[in-house]
Amino acid sequence: MMAVGFQDVSKHYRERPAVTEFTLQVQPEERLVLLGPSGCGKTTVLRLLAGLIAPDHGHIAINDEVVAMDGRNLKGPEARALGMVFQDLALWPHLTVRGNLEFGLKAQGVPAAERQARIYKTLGLMQLQGYAEAWPGDLSGGQQQRTALARALVLSPKLLLMDEPLSSLDFELNFQLRKELLRLQRELRFTLIYVTHNLEEAFDIATRIVVMKDGRIERIGDVSEIRAHFQQLLYQSAATANGDDTSRLPCPP
Amino acid sequence: MNWISCRLIYYNVDIVTILSDDVVLNAQQITLSATVALLLVIGAAPLLAMFAASLTIDGTLSLMYYQALVSSRRAWTLLGQSLTLSSLTALCGTTIGVPLGILLGKTDLPLKHLFVVLFTLPLLLPPYFLAVAWSHVLGREGWLSEMAGGSLAEMGSAGLFGLRGSVLVLTTVFMPVAMLLTMAYLKTVDPRLEEAGRLVARWPRVLYGITLPMIRPGLAWGALLVFLLAVGEFSVPMYLRYDVFPVEILTQFSAFYDFGAATAAAVPLALLTVTVLIGEERFSGAPRQAMRGFMGAAEGSLIRLGAAGTGWLTGVGLVCVVLVILPLGGLVLQTSPSDYVEALNRGGDSLLHSLVYAASGATLLTLLGFFCGYLIHTHALRAWRWVDFLTLLLLVLPSPVIGIGLIGLWNRPATDWIYGTPMMILLGYMAQYLALTSRTTAAALAQIPASMDEAALVTGAGWFRRLLTITAPLAGPGLLAAWLVAYIFCLRDTGIAMLVYPPGHDTFPVRIFTLMANSPEGLVAALCVLMMMATLLPLAPLGLVMKRWSRVP
Repeated sequence: MMAVGFQDVSKHYRERPAVTEFTLQVQPEERLVLLGPSGCGKTTVLRLLAGLIAPDHGHIAINDEVVAMDGRNLKGPEARALGMVFQDLALWPHLTVRGNLEFGLKAQGVPAAERQARIYKTLGLMQLQGYAEAWPGDLSGGQQQRTALARALVLSPKLLLMDEPLSSLDFELNFQLRKELLRLQRELRFTLIYVTHNLEEAFDIATRIVVMKDGRIERIGDVSEIRAHFQQLLYQSAATANGDDTSRLPCPP
Repeated sequence: MNWISCRLIYYNVDIVTILSDDVVLNAQQITLSATVALLLVIGAAPLLAMFAASLTIDGTLSLMYYQALVSSRRAWTLLGQSLTLSSLTALCGTTIGVPLGILLGKTDLPLKHLFVVLFTLPLLLPPYFLAVAWSHVLGREGWLSEMAGGSLAEMGSAGLFGLRGSVLVLTTVFMPVAMLLTMAYLKTVDPRLEEAGRLVARWPRVLYGITLPMIRPGLAWGALLVFLLAVGEFSVPMYLRYDVFPVEILTQFSAFYDFGAATAAAVPLALLTVTVLIGEERFSGAPRQAMRGFMGAAEGSLIRLGAAGTGWLTGVGLVCVVLVILPLGGLVLQTSPSDYVEALNRGGDSLLHSLVYAASGATLLTLLGFFCGYLIHTHALRAWRWVDFLTLLLLVLPSPVIGIGLIGLWNRPATDWIYGTPMMILLGYMAQYLALTSRTTAAALAQIPASMDEAALVTGAGWFRRLLTITAPLAGPGLLAAWLVAYIFCLRDTGIAMLVYPPGHDTFPVRIFTLMANSPEGLVAALCVLMMMATLLPLAPLGLVMKRWSRVP
């Protein structure tokens, strides 16, 4: 069974192509990273998968069930049973941490007693005990990040989408949260699709990496293959720019 | 400030020395302080003069006018009726306006842009037009009454005149305020917050749990604005024979020529407005000016109605027919070509006055509103809060209150050169409608990244140069919109012009209002249609200019 499948998916914003003929399969419990520069279509792929936008052409399947095809979403976002962490976190400022977690549970009709149990279990998992009644605006950056992740995980999704969630954090916090994310993924065994433009983050998190450019897949491989690819690029770059400082890794193209 | 220092400010010297070497002010502070001073003269001074006049009789301090007012049973009855009418209007306007705002601002409802224009139309016209229009439908000789005949016609006519009819007409007129504010506030919600909700819930729950709670202060403000606009409205209740408090002010002034009593009668409405505004400022969950634009809602935050779209379209269409097309269409159908000829003969000169005064007023309002809006946006002076509050207070104050205030301030021998001229009408427009241009400008300025001005600043450009060559051009579409809104509101104004116009300079709405009582229905309808055309004609070319402007990258 495939956790996610894209088949010849294209999406345009007005005249501009955002994703072109995108085909990809993701295995259950895989940690797939979409890597590429800004504007290469990574976020569009995530939004297509979440059902927030519909593909112009092609079809998208989740757990072997087609959820969108040729300009139509066959299943709404709420029916796809996935979690998503946005780049700006999108924590609802008028709801407390508990309110943020409870919203989805209420929408899914989870009974009150079970809701409370799941909220406290998830808050414990994310080391946010004692913050249930806090307002998002009163939390530190790391706590906000954990709350956003908790909100996505409280519904026990089998598929978690993350759109550059750690990009605004300092190195130490970024590193710490990456480790926590890997621990959670191993513990809860969800499929993870993670968008980033940061090489180190990608190598740390991924079991497989998709390098994107101009809305298309440029390269797919496991971490060692992609690392070798970028090392090759670095070598070529160093060879052509004689005498330049080559001690720093270049950004992926 | 002399010419040389002006040149210095324009080019690259932000700091100029004026008066003496000890007093150093910068160009921005000088200009904005002058703007605040002008606002005080135009807006605050008439209110203070009015209040002072109500406390004196023949030059001595007296509370007699207030004693007479407080002991008058009629005044209390009228105040109660005013509050009843405006509360019911606010309730009905919000009940209809908020769902309409959601449907037109948030969904893919077919023809939604056309509906926005149609629903907004009554707001652009003098309110009593709708009363006239409804009387042509439901009145004793209205076409619907004639079609229904007998007791049904009697019921329709009886329902129109009095409280119910006044609520119906004022709801039609002011409902667009609630609708447009709902649409505007919906655009301030970050689409990501709704998308995060959509991942786990369907749209109705996301609207109820995420979107609407976030714009609750905006919705409350819409209801309050409808209430305040309705409480000061006199022409509709006057036409539909429902006595309200603002009519008392006009009666004291026009019928009894008792300026002191009229002033004292204006004070309770002014106090009510101030109290409501202060209360709203204190208790609202979020500041109104904190509107952040997420214009051009993301695809994911648009509600797709799907198969239900036809049903919603039918529902909205029906509401539009009942509230707008029925009365205004009926008005047009009442006219014949000869009515238009007669209408131009009887009101052509005042139509011309109206167009000139509205265009002049809008231009002055845009200029003053630009500086006030800049001050509100940048908080460059501490007085920005007061400027924002004062302009808003003046906007929602009943127009007879402002009219009485202007007369009290300028009707004296030393200022007769102003009082006896159309300048009085322009001063009235500037006092009452400044909030429209200042707020529109502030909203336009909020869309311009601060880095635009900062990039010009580091090149050494002075404040005036940056303002004229960077800020104003970037805010161009917003300023044009401000002019347009000001033009429409100046053109539709009845309350201020009715009190302050000098002989021979009456405006078109005032002329229609006076002709209405003793003229044939066809003529009155033709006058109203001409007024509608005068209001709507400039919208088309200016709309096109704005559309083209907005396409420029």
